[in-house]
Amino acid sequence: MDHRKSGYGAMFLAILSTILFLFPIYWMFATSIKPMSDLFASPPHLIPRDVTFAAYLENVFKNPYILGYIGNSFLIACGTMVVTLLLAAPAAYALTRLNLRGKGLILILLLASQMLPNIMLAMPFFILFSKLGLLNSFLGLIIANTTVSLPFAVLVLRPFFLSIPSVLDDAAAIDGCNKWTTFWRVILPLIKPGMLTVGAFCFLFGWGDFLFAMLLTTEESIRPLTLGLYKFIGQYGTQWNNLMAVATVAAIPIVIIFITLQKYIVSGLTSGAVKD
Amino acid sequence: MQQPEVRTMGQKTMGIKSVKTKGIRSWSSYLFVLPGLGFLVFFMFFPIAYNFWLSVKDVKVTNLNGEQHFVGFANYATIFKDELFTISLTNSIIFTGLSILFQFVIGFALALFFNKRFPGRDIMRSLMLLAWLMPIVITATLFKWMLAGDYGVFNYLLQTLGVIQQPVSWLTEADTSLYGTILANIWIGIPFNMIILLSGLQSLPDHLYEAAKLDGASRFQQFVHITLPLMRPTILVLLMLGVIYTFKVFDLIFIMTGGGPVNASFVLPLYAYQLSFITFDFSLGATVASIMFLILIALSAVYLWMLRKEEQTL
Repeated sequence: MDHRKSGYGAMFLAILSTILFLFPIYWMFATSIKPMSDLFASPPHLIPRDVTFAAYLENVFKNPYILGYIGNSFLIACGTMVVTLLLAAPAAYALTRLNLRGKGLILILLLASQMLPNIMLAMPFFILFSKLGLLNSFLGLIIANTTVSLPFAVLVLRPFFLSIPSVLDDAAAIDGCNKWTTFWRVILPLIKPGMLTVGAFCFLFGWGDFLFAMLLTTEESIRPLTLGLYKFIGQYGTQWNNLMAVATVAAIPIVIIFITLQKYIVSGLTSGAVKD
Repeated sequence: MQQPEVRTMGQKTMGIKSVKTKGIRSWSSYLFVLPGLGFLVFFMFFPIAYNFWLSVKDVKVTNLNGEQHFVGFANYATIFKDELFTISLTNSIIFTGLSILFQFVIGFALALFFNKRFPGRDIMRSLMLLAWLMPIVITATLFKWMLAGDYGVFNYLLQTLGVIQQPVSWLTEADTSLYGTILANIWIGIPFNMIILLSGLQSLPDHLYEAAKLDGASRFQQFVHITLPLMRPTILVLLMLGVIYTFKVFDLIFIMTGGGPVNASFVLPLYAYQLSFITFDFSLGATVASIMFLILIALSAVYLWMLRKEEQTL
């Protein structure tokens, strides 16, 4: 095949389709830097003519609530990530390495738990948490999000553990490691890429959660940015530049994580989520 | 801890010791799984059981802490007779079916295209994944704006292309609101389908295609006779996961249309939500959630059966 020639033609087509596909994300940002009057221009300005950052100034920097929402989102997302990794890493290790009875059953249960509708979990959580005093608490939201991310995390981490030869475990044992120190000092450092992948996904799960936050909290001081954005939809109606500014801010951590960890995210997705 | 000691022992003692250590080994191994498993059992399997338990009782907000009765399958009968159940089940099936169809076909086309070698391929491939990673609330708000009737950019595009003459209020008209949400969901799902199919394509052996080319097989013949059969396992898993994830979608529809107008985009998760959290008929809400769960279980049973058949034919 004439790789060179068709290569550049294909590249051109690929750039075109990528731009077309990502147009909505561009449109989100473009809308956020337009003045209100330009939103209703007909035909719409595909490239903003008057650029203003007023929507950001107004809604993000001058609005004390938004900073609170952002802080809450970070707390919930990081909490979900830490709790999930702490629970998932040893479990995934044990499921690949150690002599366990009922390994197959546990794996099937993990797969099955991925198909639970969140709404099916939310109602029992609501009743359970109201009895445990966990409504309106970060801990409650972190627990709820972890139930969703934990099975996923174990399933994605498993292939990473499998890829490390068990000779290493034996060598560590000869050097006097017990099972915990083998896991903690020898194996865990080796699956750093896996932990990064899973950590990134858990953060994204926690950051994006809407349903649990809506149903398990009532106080604005606990609620994350996703609910803040939802509240703005009700308040602002068609002030799309303001809404898109908040949406863009909510998207920024996702974009940053994505750019820094994209290699891990793509490989984690393909290696663990499906083939297993 | 026992292992180094065991290794220095003689033959006979080693045999005895290892039986003993095996017991200890598996016991302490459970400690690794126990925290995670305990968490899952408590916070995941308990809710499932609780749902089913609630679905055979008559719990409402009025008797949440009062006297409750066992009602057998009366709640299921009530739900099956409810018109809203039929509407939301139908909408759920349309939403899932159309979303999966388009996500898969477009995703597959892109995967075949991105399977070629050209500069910048990997960057563009992963850039697209951004759509899938966006929090749903953002995507929903964004598409609400793009599909807006008066100044939405989608109408402008269609009018420029001559597809429609008058602007359409996609999300506020009963004929189109469900399709507006489907459009957004297709956009979200395309990159996931593409990435999974692409990794499947990349693992196919080159020599089969070279042999086919020597035999004079056309591109299309290669696709039908080599690519599709070899990709079957990946395709099955992907479609199955797609159906499960799409059937559960709540946030997107809730934010874009709220199920409206007049239930035109009302789906099963919204129905369960409304019963549990708007009218506070906890038992009826749990019944709908349980029905959804049973549907998903049935689907995955079919999937496991298909997978097993697949393994037998190979």
